[in-house]
Amino acid sequence: MSQQELYTSDAAKYWKEALSGKITPLWKMNVDEFESDIALKKMGKIDHKLFAETRLRMGAYGQRYDNGHRYDGKTVRNIPFPEAFKGPDTYWDAPGMQRIKLPWGGLSADQMDLFADLAEEYSDGICHITTRQAIQLHYIHIENCPSMYRRLGALGITTREACGNAVRNVSADPMTGVSPTEVFDVTPYAQAMFEFLLGHPDAQDFGRKFKIAFSGDKEGSSGLVNIHDLGLIAKMKDGKRGFEFYVGGGLGAVPYSAHLFSDFVSEDEILPLAQAVCRVYARLGEKKKRHRARIKFLVADMGFEKFRETVLEARAKLPFDPTWAAYIKDLNRLDEKPSRPAGNGVWPIAATGDAEYDFWVKTNVKQQSQAGYAAVIVTLPLGDITSNQMRDLAAICRKYIKDSVRTVVEQNLLVRWVSQNDLPAFYADLKAIGLHLPGAESILDVTACPGTDTCKLGVSSSRGLAGELRKQLAEKSTHMDDAVRNLRIKISGCFNSCSHHHIADIGFYGISRNVAGYVVPHFQMVLGGQFQHNGGTYGIGVGGIASKAVPGVVEKITGMYSQHRRPDENFHAWVERTGKATIMQSLQDIIEVPPYETDKSYYVDWGDVREYSVKDKGMGECAGEVVTLTDFGLKAADRELFEGQLRFESGDVVSAGSRAYNGMVLAAQALLKLNDIDISSNPDIVMERFTKEFHDTGVFNDPFAGPKFAQYYFQAHTHRGQGLDKDKTSLFLHEAQLFVEAAHSCYARMSMADASTSSATV
Amino acid sequence: MNLQNIQWKIHLADGSAPNVHEWFKALGTWIPDSPEVFVDVADYSHVQDGPVIFLSGHNVAYSLDGTGRRLGLLYERRQPAEGSNAEKLNESFTSTLQHAALLEADGTFKNKPKFLVGDVKFFVNNRGIAPNKDATFATLKPELEALLNKVYGAGAYTLTREPDTRQRFTVHVKAKAAVSVAEALKKLA
Repeated sequence: MSQQELYTSDAAKYWKEALSGKITPLWKMNVDEFESDIALKKMGKIDHKLFAETRLRMGAYGQRYDNGHRYDGKTVRNIPFPEAFKGPDTYWDAPGMQRIKLPWGGLSADQMDLFADLAEEYSDGICHITTRQAIQLHYIHIENCPSMYRRLGALGITTREACGNAVRNVSADPMTGVSPTEVFDVTPYAQAMFEFLLGHPDAQDFGRKFKIAFSGDKEGSSGLVNIHDLGLIAKMKDGKRGFEFYVGGGLGAVPYSAHLFSDFVSEDEILPLAQAVCRVYARLGEKKKRHRARIKFLVADMGFEKFRETVLEARAKLPFDPTWAAYIKDLNRLDEKPSRPAGNGVWPIAATGDAEYDFWVKTNVKQQSQAGYAAVIVTLPLGDITSNQMRDLAAICRKYIKDSVRTVVEQNLLVRWVSQNDLPAFYADLKAIGLHLPGAESILDVTACPGTDTCKLGVSSSRGLAGELRKQLAEKSTHMDDAVRNLRIKISGCFNSCSHHHIADIGFYGISRNVAGYVVPHFQMVLGGQFQHNGGTYGIGVGGIASKAVPGVVEKITGMYSQHRRPDENFHAWVERTGKATIMQSLQDIIEVPPYETDKSYYVDWGDVREYSVKDKGMGECAGEVVTLTDFGLKAADRELFEGQLRFESGDVVSAGSRAYNGMVLAAQALLKLNDIDISSNPDIVMERFTKEFHDTGVFNDPFAGPKFAQYYFQAHTHRGQGLDKDKTSLFLHEAQLFVEAAHSCYARMSMADASTSSATV
Repeated sequence: MNLQNIQWKIHLADGSAPNVHEWFKALGTWIPDSPEVFVDVADYSHVQDGPVIFLSGHNVAYSLDGTGRRLGLLYERRQPAEGSNAEKLNESFTSTLQHAALLEADGTFKNKPKFLVGDVKFFVNNRGIAPNKDATFATLKPELEALLNKVYGAGAYTLTREPDTRQRFTVHVKAKAAVSVAEALKKLA
């Protein structure tokens, strides 16, 4: 019996067997290893911090209350989870969130069916679309993750590096390929970037996350290149394809605009240049001070010109990799085709007299560059869609289009290639399943991060407020001034900007204020950001508003804008001209918080019934854990050794010996990574370097046993675990265990001496 | 089959349209007061054909559920259960009824919810062990009938499997005569 069988259910065994031939070998290995890690963690063989980063890199996040504390409106109560942990201060049994990457937001009907099933079986029946085109499922139990990963893998989806200090989902403008204004379709480039950097050695040792976005159109919005660590905008030069290449953007508490690294990088150069950026970030980026660890800070600290020079030097030193340009031969492999004949191509679409339908067409239907076809935005309130709706939408998509659905950063779905002739029937089908809401890309389409609903960092209820605003604005939407209707509202539960509040016309982020001894939920208001021009302008903080006063404030500000704006004056320009002081002055009568005794509703947040508190806020995992490649390498050694022991118990002596030896090599290699992250995995090279750098220098010597454990490794290298009888293999397993433990001890000693990264070079 | 991930949904009587705010409050009070490990309540009243108010828990979750466009109390076993299938069925249905009884008596509601114990759905929310097929139905039917005979009496109800194979394994239980929550609990005791 393997360790997996000790801990997995009949269903888990079923999925493992049924899908084993349908998953890529790499993903199969990743999931098998994660399953082993779960078993090892339960046996106490992996520490909390290391396991936390391991699961984060598989997309398995913590969730609010996983520290076992919840404020019930009167007092903080303990949730009686058993004493077992899956991260620092994170209870094992507490449900968590699973983030699932969808490169460039691509989604097929079969994948939609699968998401419906996964949400139903493992989550709460809700798929949540994120502001970076991923899908999140909440209330997940970690034991279900391997089955979920296998089912996703069978349909070509990986969750690897969906969280943690890694390259996150590679996003792209969802209109790319069908946009009338873009330079060219960036989909194949985004896919190539995703495939190239997934698990790439140069992208495994970051101090924080790293986000990449593509846009086909400089003036558009949904690529949002300006707010990303690395961003690329399509460009043609002398008849050749390439990109404007940006580095160092990012939102967070203090937003940074991306720097133009190069105004043209040819298509065959984008992957090596991205690799060089990753290499520089991994080696020179901050690792200890989490709040200064994003690449935007490295660029700021080095100075952009010095940073650029360093990246170009790193690029020049990169050994040639044939995959850099290999994908260009097959650029059309992701091209989409329609399934129905084109419509008449007349645009704008003529009104039918059905006010409800016509309004939906106006707000939710976009012209494609391909005449006769439209891209339809399916508006999802708060980014949520139920399992049954997802399943039904998949069936509708099969009826009208081929697999050409994309997730949208404004938390909606975009159904592309709908024939203009089919729009009335398509609308009727959406209406039958409650997905016909109008108001996409308008003030009604409020974006909100999970906030206090499920996020450990949430301060105020972003989703509660978004729901309330949507309800109130919907009542007025049909007779709104177009200039007001086209505004965007984005709400984050804290300053971390997951909803992109800095680039909203009207943005909010959660804060709390003390009012006469009571803590009152508030939002800081940020005005005048721009979603257009790839998130080109950041808004300015105006002031704190009590949560319950926000709807009144939005009504007042939009009214002022509608009344006082000059012809063609956009909101950003109006805010600048009017000034922060005047705006706040005009809100004074609305924003005053009534005393507790007069109106207790101000002291309860939207979407909640408890009196407000920030006492159950936890520590976030957005930053991941600082875990080195050596940590991961030593964990791999443990896992290999553990597998060897299980093989021995099952009578497979040959495999046991081989696994044990591999464990020793992995442990030695892990230590060598402290000085050289590119260290080969060739056992002979590992042995040679280990001997020179750790044995001959005495660094590996145990304070009491001296070089004894290194000798075990030297002996093992001669037989490599093979040709041993049962008794000798048993002894060898013990020696291998002692060597791996000695490697852990050596690493601990070195860490204490703070010698771990001093010799790293670019 | 080692039955896991059992769900029961007891539909609400027509006319008892819920006040979601009251449901949110009522389910929230179970968190500190129950021996179950409950975690939090989520409001999904903005979506259709799914959960409306969801009480998350470690072993068990409960929700006001609107899946299939019909409202009801949904019991959901989320962790592996031990014992024979008969024991699991009995325990899970009893728990569902006990919590329905709590809600029917809850002073939070201005219009108290009324549950139709004769109009129930049984699910196995696990496609790995129980695909929604006739074979699964044939396997589970005797054990399900053994339980339901106690509640409604043999031959006093019908069982209909949901024909859409995309759905989780679903059986609609329809009793010929009305049964109250209290009566059902008494018969299962």
